Amino acid sequence: MGATLAEKILATHTTDGKATAGEIVEANVDFVMVHEVLGSRIMPILDEMGVDKVWDPKRILVVNDHWAPAPNIQSAEIHQRNRDFVRKHGITHFCDVNCGICHQVMADWGLARPGELIVGCDSHTCSYGAFNAFSTGLAATDTAIILATGSNWFRVPESRRFEISGELPDFVMSKDLILRIVTDLGSDGATYESLEFHGPTIDSMTVPSRMTMCNMSVEAGAKTAIMTLNESATSWLNAKSAMSTWTPMEPDRDAGYVETHRYDLDSDPLGPIVSAPNSPANGKAVEEVEGIEIDQAFIGSCTNGRLEDIEIAARILKGKNVAQGVRLILTPASMETYLSAVRAGFIETLITSGAVVTNPTCGACVGGHLGILGPDEVAISSTNRNFRGRMGHPESLVYLASPATVAASALKGVITDPRSVA
Amino acid sequence: MMKRNLENIVGKVWKFGSNIDTDQIIQGRYLMMLDYSEMAKHTLKIQRPDFASNVQKNDIVVAGKNFGGGSSREEAPKVLEVLGVGCVIAESFARIFFRNSFNVGLPSLIVPDITEQVEDGETLIVNLSKGTVKKDNGTILQAAPLPPLMMDIVSAGGAIPWFKQRLVGQ
Repeated sequence: MGATLAEKILATHTTDGKATAGEIVEANVDFVMVHEVLGSRIMPILDEMGVDKVWDPKRILVVNDHWAPAPNIQSAEIHQRNRDFVRKHGITHFCDVNCGICHQVMADWGLARPGELIVGCDSHTCSYGAFNAFSTGLAATDTAIILATGSNWFRVPESRRFEISGELPDFVMSKDLILRIVTDLGSDGATYESLEFHGPTIDSMTVPSRMTMCNMSVEAGAKTAIMTLNESATSWLNAKSAMSTWTPMEPDRDAGYVETHRYDLDSDPLGPIVSAPNSPANGKAVEEVEGIEIDQAFIGSCTNGRLEDIEIAARILKGKNVAQGVRLILTPASMETYLSAVRAGFIETLITSGAVVTNPTCGACVGGHLGILGPDEVAISSTNRNFRGRMGHPESLVYLASPATVAASALKGVITDPRSVA
Repeated sequence: MMKRNLENIVGKVWKFGSNIDTDQIIQGRYLMMLDYSEMAKHTLKIQRPDFASNVQKNDIVVAGKNFGGGSSREEAPKVLEVLGVGCVIAESFARIFFRNSFNVGLPSLIVPDITEQVEDGETLIVNLSKGTVKKDNGTILQAAPLPPLMMDIVSAGGAIPWFKQRLVGQ
């Protein structure tokens, strides 16, 4: 039997060149991403391990993004520790509080490349499958081991294949598609698995849309999500990566999958999906939740804070006002995104319509700062998780949706189908 | 980190439902706390506000499907370990939580119908080496076998001592 994308990529990183689903293998990683968890948790672990030298300072990105700029003394101290670490170890790639959310920075700086094995100390690390990388989230101790040695053990995942064809209608985004898929799978429907997204819809998608889909795959429990390289990812890499060559991977024709799921968006058209509290897998057609009153509308995060997300919000809100009593908060995913949105006039449009625009940070998505919810407040959000208490008070409610649905809802003050306000 | 007692974990059950995500175990707003014993006071607070103050050493967290879904935060199993929880038994675990729990020296066992088999507050005796869970009434439940690597890590007391052992071994 042939190899899946996950097996192929992992096999090029093991000492014996083999990796078959179900096996536990030792693999060498190409790149590691860490954020505030470095200062808060990883550094004490490295000390306890007696490690005083990282394996390769050129293959590490350190980012201060979760609480950026520091909203309190504790996070300020964590940022200081990260800066000290970067200086002491001569880390090549460092993003302080002024450049954005780690996963977008990986993309902006061209650090996620085809065929690579990338580990991040963050569950949404699976986003880089958009660039044909095997990327997965681990936590502090496993990341410390990798920072020390460049390798760790991995269970080779089984793979689940998706064949997606047909066009996404206007105002329906890749977020709607992935919320539908996560709902179809359930919150543990892909635990430990690698999701492979194929088909003309995926091949013609922009990089931001592809990243959104890979990013959200962890919400079904997946270990990684991988796409084959397409034209938009190739031109993105050509523009942003310091490397000029890479080895894109394709699965073998006879690769073995747990299951193949087919979605044909032409014969079975997709509308906007909203995931109701308290699970991303609780997706509903927007019609089922239309009219629910909201206090806050949030556009941002590693899931949907990119230029096309800001653009569609600006398109919906241009010349109009955010509903009275509703806060629309926009947190661009990175400074590069922010600057492009300023230059394109989207930021002016959104500020004029009544939006609050913050600096790039994980901020409100992780319940950190810049948009925390109070008791009994209801938010519609373009982020990735609506667990109880995720964005603030345990008695607040979060509905997950695409940036288009969030913008339309901000305009009307209630959950709204973006197709109805266009 | 101490070496764990793996043969005879005797503790009282704290029973939870399915999909107890990492925000339920420890909310994002506490992650900037550098002191684990302070952070641990907020463990499982949304679900059971009395948990952190009343949990006893070796008590057992029992849950339904998909325990620990969501964030990669190692703080989730760590605060349970800091509070002295003996082990977690769930019907299934999210991937990163499962791996993390062994890394911090907190054993996690999978028993497919555990929430139907045990009551909140009852005492269980867990033998991790044999993968058995013994109820008050003598009934023995069998857990899914753990990969030898996970047993090695948890026997060492977590991934840090395991890593140090391996370095010495080389």
